[in-house]
Amino acid sequence: MAHRIVGQPIGKLEGIGKVSGQARYSGDVTLPGLVWGKALRSPLPHARIVRIDTSRARALPGVLAFLTAQDLPDILVGRRMFDMPMLARDRVRFVGEKVAVVAAADPDIAEEALALIDVEYEDLSAVFDPVDAIKAGAPVLHENPAAYEGAPAERPHPNVQSVLRFKLGDVEAGFGQADRIFEHTFRTQLDHQGYLEPHAGVVAIDDDGRIQVWASNKMPFRLKELLSHALKRPPEQIRVNLTPIGGDFGGKGSLMDLPLAYHLARVTGRPVKMLMRYAEELMAGNPRHPSVITMRTGVTRDGRIIARLVKALFNSGAYAAFKPAPSVNLGGTAMGAGVYRIPNLLIEAFCVYSNNIPCGHARSPGEPQMVFAGESHMDMIARELGMDPADLRRKNLLRDGDHLANGHHLEHVRASDTLEAALKASHYAEPKPGPWIGRGMAMTHRHIGVGFTNARVRLETSGAVTLSIALPDTGTGAHLVLRQVVAEVLGVTLDEVEIEVANTDDFETDSGVGGSRVTHTGGRAAYHAAEKLKQQIESEASKHGIPAGALAEIARAAAKDGRTLEASHFYDAKAHADVTSFTAQVAEVAIDPATGQVTVRHFTTAHDVGTIINPIGHQGQIEGGLIQGLGFALIEEMKTEDGRISTLSLGDFKLPTIQDIPPLTTVILQGQVGPGPFNAKAIGEGSISAVAPAIANAVADACGVRILDLPITAEKVYFALREKVAR
Amino acid sequence: MIRLTVNGTVHELEVPAYRTLLDCLRYDLGLTGSKEGCGVGVCGACTVLLDGKMISSCIALAAFADGRSVTTVEGLAQDERLHPVQQAFVDAGGFQCGICTPGQVVSAKALLDANPNPTEAEIKEWMVGNLCRCTGYYKIVESIRSAAQRSRA
Repeated sequence: MAHRIVGQPIGKLEGIGKVSGQARYSGDVTLPGLVWGKALRSPLPHARIVRIDTSRARALPGVLAFLTAQDLPDILVGRRMFDMPMLARDRVRFVGEKVAVVAAADPDIAEEALALIDVEYEDLSAVFDPVDAIKAGAPVLHENPAAYEGAPAERPHPNVQSVLRFKLGDVEAGFGQADRIFEHTFRTQLDHQGYLEPHAGVVAIDDDGRIQVWASNKMPFRLKELLSHALKRPPEQIRVNLTPIGGDFGGKGSLMDLPLAYHLARVTGRPVKMLMRYAEELMAGNPRHPSVITMRTGVTRDGRIIARLVKALFNSGAYAAFKPAPSVNLGGTAMGAGVYRIPNLLIEAFCVYSNNIPCGHARSPGEPQMVFAGESHMDMIARELGMDPADLRRKNLLRDGDHLANGHHLEHVRASDTLEAALKASHYAEPKPGPWIGRGMAMTHRHIGVGFTNARVRLETSGAVTLSIALPDTGTGAHLVLRQVVAEVLGVTLDEVEIEVANTDDFETDSGVGGSRVTHTGGRAAYHAAEKLKQQIESEASKHGIPAGALAEIARAAAKDGRTLEASHFYDAKAHADVTSFTAQVAEVAIDPATGQVTVRHFTTAHDVGTIINPIGHQGQIEGGLIQGLGFALIEEMKTEDGRISTLSLGDFKLPTIQDIPPLTTVILQGQVGPGPFNAKAIGEGSISAVAPAIANAVADACGVRILDLPITAEKVYFALREKVAR
Repeated sequence: MIRLTVNGTVHELEVPAYRTLLDCLRYDLGLTGSKEGCGVGVCGACTVLLDGKMISSCIALAAFADGRSVTTVEGLAQDERLHPVQQAFVDAGGFQCGICTPGQVVSAKALLDANPNPTEAEIKEWMVGNLCRCTGYYKIVESIRSAAQRSRA
């Protein structure tokens, strides 16, 4: 079906304020009388707090308030499992945990005050590695985790936060039928989402006693609920005001400093701003979980996968508080099955407490870890079987009617088409241009997210249309996509649709941004609201005998009768539609044998998508996710020494730069089936997860070295090459 | 007392000796377009032009800019009309969340001032100090090429 506005490559009109410096992020919000809050953080990974002496800090001119846990109600915070104190009470469990907070009129005075606080600690024995953490006799982080609100019941060891299992068939029986069994263990690193806007928030208590919040948080309604819980104030007393968010990638959904900003606002009677410095982000944000993943796969002689057992340990750090899913685990672990039909499957994922930074959600949570393991494992099996890795995949790909391990039923499966498209576009089968050059493939798929969104569409007497929505702009271009949807439905131009960013008073609820859901849920809410408005317009037009296209006239006629033409829709998708989105990628790399340096010479990414609403935004999601995946594969690592992050700035914790991007070929396999408006699917999380295994497989192809732990640094390749020569 | 000319307007103000230029712009002058990302001069979100040269304002003291001229992102558009670089970033999708964008467009403007017709390699060389986590940079390169073309047209 041809569309007028849907599918048009319209530039990022929603961002004129962003290129001109006018867009106001939460860190830019200022209010009369605003003061600054700053937190003092623990320098030790596990210690008892013996004494906090604030006398020197209190004497500093300009310090307005000072709080420790003793000044706060004994309430634990979290997103699903509530196990984290707002300020450490008696005990710290990671380097970077907040122990005190000050407010001052000037941010520099607040910083100075922190340096004058004397805290006496008594060291406790600590545990850092997730494998060690669940051994008998390991130091225990939390005496009784089962007692925490939201804590899952199953706990094989006191340091286990949660266990998540996916099961198909009978895995032991499956291994019994296998001709060959392969087992490999992989490790992935601690990695920050890398958004360039550190967490920021402003809290003010207004004259009516209401709590006004501006925060870099992508789920405003959930934030309101969580704040209500943390502050013991009724939710209607809290208003979250939406601001643009300076990058999310899964990391901007927690309370972070907001409860403390509230308490400082309460005691000072002034609005309080708290900004994390980037060093604080790196020691106490909520980064991607590092993992240890063992994959054991049984295959028949001809390369059919008959059984797979996956055991994943996620090093969750000192608290479970940052994980939003009811499982208090990472749903992406279901990707341990990859894009394959595996009749007998058991995936077990353990999130484990340790004295490290608490981890949270990051773009496609759990999947880059699982897909690195699974797709590296596939190539290793193919090599052992003497098969082409493409053929091993072809034999085992998902097909129409298959069920995923998480129960999701699939139709319209285009795994095979996507793989073949990537192989063709990358010239995978052609001779390589020289020595030390290799090609590797990897595949994944990502669901189209579910959730719920409210939208309201109003016809103004000017003839313009206003779309009101309470989904924050995290940069994905969603606001433009929603305008395109409304303009398409109503038959107006894009310029005639304006977006009005609402706040949490304006709607009942909304599931917010995340999980590849916004084009689907926001798009459908806007679509149906616009459809309802269109009917109102048509009936109003026929009532007054006005042509249906004369929108201003129709709106004015309605206004004369005292009515506004306005329609709302609440769209709620609870279950996944019977489709997913496949990705197949091919990396071509060159190895420098003298240094081990890996250069990605070319990258091909193929995507099975639905209707594309905005091709520029769509491609932007592919490219951005892909380069995050490249960073995860080759560059990024938050290094720790006994729980202490040693890469505490963006100079040490490196993100890809503009010079790191490889030549790119994108292949789009456009389909007509998707749960989103006009049969759209999702794209935000489709390109990140297969990049690392595609590169790892290409490295193995280029030089015969298999790197099992990320990132694939020059050092690792260099030493592996030396070891290979020595053998 | 320091005297700063910011986007053509002269400001005389008293700031503590330790005040960074970025904090001075953001909090003393209310120009919040320039952002603090890394805070240590490597991400480029705070990039401004000091007498036409790019600097990281998060690691420069306000006093260092005394008597000099500062151009921030707010100073690029003329009479509500976006600078060609800004317009190109909008049209080509050279940003997503926008937090690095003020620094990107200021750096890109400085590039085109110095070299109106840069090659792709020159663009990548010049822009290496401006991190972006959203776009993967492809559309930033495209935006700058397109701005260069427009400026020549």
